[in-house]
Amino acid sequence: MNAPDLMDLKLVVPEMMLTGAALVLILLARRIRKANVVAAGTVVAAVAAALAAAPIGWVFSGVAATGFSDMIIVDGYSQFFKVLIAAALALTVLLSVKRAPGVVDRATDPDAPGPSADGETGVVNTGPGNDTEDVRPAEYHALLLLASTGMMFAVSALDLLTLYLGLELMTLCSYILVGITVNSSASNEAAIKYFLLGSFASALLLYGISLTYGVTGATGFEAIASAVSGDGAGTDRMIWVAMGLLGAGLAFKVAAFPFHAWAPDAYQGATAPVAAFLAAASKAAGLAALGRVCLVAFEGQSGVLSMGLAGLAGLSIVVGSIMAVSQSDMKRLLAYSSIAHAGYALLGLVSGTPAGATATMTYAFLYVFMTLGAFGVVIALGERGEKLDGYHGLAAQRPGTAALMLLFLLSLTGIPPTAGFAAKFIVILSAVRSGHFALAVLAVLCSVVTAFVYLRVVVLMYMKEPREAAPSRFPVAVGTALALSALVTIIAGIFPDLLAPWAVAPGK
Amino acid sequence: MIAEVEYTGIVVAFVLAGIIAGGMIVLASTLGRKRPSTVKSEPFECGQVPLSLPGGKLAIKFYLTAILFILFDVELVFLYPWAVIYRELGMVGLVEMGVFLGILMVGYVYAWDNGALKWQ
Repeated sequence: MNAPDLMDLKLVVPEMMLTGAALVLILLARRIRKANVVAAGTVVAAVAAALAAAPIGWVFSGVAATGFSDMIIVDGYSQFFKVLIAAALALTVLLSVKRAPGVVDRATDPDAPGPSADGETGVVNTGPGNDTEDVRPAEYHALLLLASTGMMFAVSALDLLTLYLGLELMTLCSYILVGITVNSSASNEAAIKYFLLGSFASALLLYGISLTYGVTGATGFEAIASAVSGDGAGTDRMIWVAMGLLGAGLAFKVAAFPFHAWAPDAYQGATAPVAAFLAAASKAAGLAALGRVCLVAFEGQSGVLSMGLAGLAGLSIVVGSIMAVSQSDMKRLLAYSSIAHAGYALLGLVSGTPAGATATMTYAFLYVFMTLGAFGVVIALGERGEKLDGYHGLAAQRPGTAALMLLFLLSLTGIPPTAGFAAKFIVILSAVRSGHFALAVLAVLCSVVTAFVYLRVVVLMYMKEPREAAPSRFPVAVGTALALSALVTIIAGIFPDLLAPWAVAPGK
Repeated sequence: MIAEVEYTGIVVAFVLAGIIAGGMIVLASTLGRKRPSTVKSEPFECGQVPLSLPGGKLAIKFYLTAILFILFDVELVFLYPWAVIYRELGMVGLVEMGVFLGILMVGYVYAWDNGALKWQ
């Protein structure tokens, strides 16, 4: 334990940048009305945080450093995920430009009035059944910023309490983000469901933390590691219950079966950018937290952990893939696909080795960009993109958008030369190397099932006649986000080794 | 062994409490005179009407006020222990509490600015 030192603040510079931006937005919530200004500011904050967190930046010199009485660690692992979270935040903000704040579709209607002139509440209620998503831009973006801050704390936590704090900040903001369109009853319902299940999962996580403390007398990862490393003698069986509860709480955050039930409802009810943010960033943060807990705190119990994670991974892959087949709502389909992808990402952690953790990191990184891309196309198509039927004949009407969707869907399926192939290859290889052959075979078989899911959309786009009028043009910001996601998906697919130097597994 | 001796008193207290409370109920129900009436037979709920339909709406202002109260009440929970070890923490403690209070104040300004304190 070190004495508190103000120099420790240097370790959390990226978090401070995001928090600072969020506080400014909260202070000015009533006064900033221009959604584009807020979005631009948020993107700048996210980029600044990414630069500050970058493995080559000035905050992190390449040597792991701890601070705040060993509660926060800054190492290659945390910085990798912080950059990823900041990137996901920036892309989500770009994708939100049309739908979230002030929701005036400038692309289709240049003469549409600006956001509400109602000085008191800022919410325009134009009548019953009105489904406008008029959300004040400052609040929406402040919540996104604070959720990202929580994720960043969670990935650099070296103590179960910091981990809990970070994950709770993330989920609390997520509950509000899911229900932020107060006029939409689907959104309200989704938020309530998510909140109830989420609080329950948080309780499980806390119970696991308290049992861990009861058994080991510590909440710090390193102290827990030295307490549970003894095999047999001196190790209380209760630690398995604690690990199970911790695992359940964290599996909820990554939406792995059987803790996935919230995801389809929450994604469907939330606006598409929020769903994209949940599917991409919060899943990556959950995986990162789970990875450090498994590899640092409970490394001494890797045998038991491996069994538990193998179960989670296998079931998530099977259930996610099969349930995705029967979906007709695009956001629900992507939700089940994200459950299957959580399973694939967990394959790396099953091995319990640094190489396996590297595989999971790579998977999480690439998955974030392809899933943001897929959600991005849904967003770009507006109302039409939300239903599977909306994709009929898209290629004839909007060849560029259809081609982008094709790219992201191929990547999600795992077809070379897209990033998805590289990602799936590396996690399945990791499972094979650690001797989990059955799991690897299962993963490959389920890839075939998901291929049916994704290629069905491709068939609709390319081989059917259009049923609806061509979708309106989408804003430049959405296009930029799509282009960036596509770029990462293609480059990482062609040069899969580019990420390898940065994907550093957490060390002890 | 010491722990067991220490807790014996609590066990005795529990047993005594059980005997006294149980004894009163048993004595009252066996020896007492029973003259039931409609009102007496109703479930006892501290003077409240035991059965009623959910009555009307409660203004959201009450919840808002309660939330604001809790927010600044919890702040005090941190201030007391901080004040006790203020000298040991030195400058770091002062800055950290300043940051903490500053962030809370942002929330307060937000609530104020958006009319949460207006009782209309």
